[in-house]
Amino acid sequence: MLKAENVMKKYGSQTAVNGVSLELEDNAVTVIVGESGSGKSTLARILSLIEKPDSGRILLGDTEADRRYAKSNRRLVQLVMQNAASSLDPHQSARQVIDEPLKLLMNLNRSQRTKRTDELCDMVQFPRDKLNNKVTELSGGQQKRLCIARAIAAEPQYIIFDEAFSGLDVTLRRCILTMLKKLRADLKTAFLIITHDLDTAMFMADRIYVMRSGNIIETLDRPHSFLDFKEDYSKELVRAAEYKRQALQ
Amino acid sequence: MIHKILRKPQAILGLLMMLTVFAVMLFAPALAPNDPEKINIMQKFAEPSEQYPLGTDDMGRCIASRLIYGARVSMSIALPTIAAIAVISVLLATVCAYAGGIVDKLFVIISDIFMALPPFLVAMTLVGLFESKALSIVISIAAAMWVWNAQVVRTYVIREKQKPYIITCRMSGCSELRIIIKHIIPNIFPHLLVLYSTGLSGVIIMISGFAFLGLGLETGTAEWGAMLVNANKLVFSHPELIVYPGLCILFAAAGFNLFGEALRDICDPKEG
Repeated sequence: MLKAENVMKKYGSQTAVNGVSLELEDNAVTVIVGESGSGKSTLARILSLIEKPDSGRILLGDTEADRRYAKSNRRLVQLVMQNAASSLDPHQSARQVIDEPLKLLMNLNRSQRTKRTDELCDMVQFPRDKLNNKVTELSGGQQKRLCIARAIAAEPQYIIFDEAFSGLDVTLRRCILTMLKKLRADLKTAFLIITHDLDTAMFMADRIYVMRSGNIIETLDRPHSFLDFKEDYSKELVRAAEYKRQALQ
Repeated sequence: MIHKILRKPQAILGLLMMLTVFAVMLFAPALAPNDPEKINIMQKFAEPSEQYPLGTDDMGRCIASRLIYGARVSMSIALPTIAAIAVISVLLATVCAYAGGIVDKLFVIISDIFMALPPFLVAMTLVGLFESKALSIVISIAAAMWVWNAQVVRTYVIREKQKPYIITCRMSGCSELRIIIKHIIPNIFPHLLVLYSTGLSGVIIMISGFAFLGLGLETGTAEWGAMLVNANKLVFSHPELIVYPGLCILFAAAGFNLFGEALRDICDPKEG
């Protein structure tokens, strides 16, 4: 279990995360929803062990995560960022992107890596014939799938998706989310999805945390409908989502 | 990148000029019609002829041959100099900028101190330190110029290390050294190419400037700057002796500058 205990993070006088405690259950999908600036992404970076909290601690199981052992932490937690294009090295080919964690984290030899790369491509429905293309030559959807393949290559226990589905068109988003649902069942990996989109949250979540101004204001376990939200702010988010849906129709 | 270079006339022109200089440098013995050092006082200030295509100088030496060999001498100093500048500036700036914090602050303070000293003054102070004149020139110019280049490289590295893909590299298990070598340097490499190709023209001019001030290679060496110095006293009677090496310096410097500037445009996403 990945746990945050009283995590606090400030940037200057601005408190991004204000004493948040939460748990990511193994083999479950946890979603954090909230509007922009609510501290979701900061929390995602802290949980991915790439940023240090000012106070509080991150626990992996019973032991406190130590940033000094970064490499072993990467086998436990992986992060998929919002902008796939900018989160991939433009100098690399798609194969090199997947190859790096297989070599550095999984210690596979060349032939094992080639085989595993093909398997990962099939898992995320990334076209194998595009493996030698530079990442800049891939479409947005292919870049996103590549980011997911790179993250699952390390066979982590937890994958954090930080607004990873924003900016995708509705069809592609649904397609990727469905693929992720299947992947989670196959891989037995826990997902933490950071999003401001309640539809994504409801579609994926086993547990939803609603975040506002650096605080968790509501927790929903196994939500069935938007009516499960009780807090006024959460209801506002639901109304905003409904308004958006109506506007789109 | 190669396609973009071939589509840009400025880059093609600069590349052709650079290749001409390198070709002349490499094939000097085959191209030179005469021995560039051979003195023939009976033939001094000879008019251009079949034997001496550009005539002779005040010692009766073939000007064309001296200009051709001059490319070899000038470039054999300029290239190691820019290589030394590149190695020092990339190594120091990349490590310090990537490490950040106190290391980077220390680097900025040291570079500010170096930048307060005019490069030509630093180079002039150091140029007599070694027995070998060529080595003195290489070391003194590198010592004077590394900091200006290192500051630019530092900016590139800082900009690059803030990009989101660096986080992805860490997630993939890359060590800090691997991130620098396999990710940051390949991504800033086109910019470095621009920096050092334009820098090479500056070095060529600086070497010639040294010779002009009497701090360059031994008098009489077939080197463009030294030829300018020799011709200094003959500016009114035989101005062509100044014009020829001056044109060679201009040609080489312009070639590297044109190519460097074109590369800059190509690397700039707004232009490329």
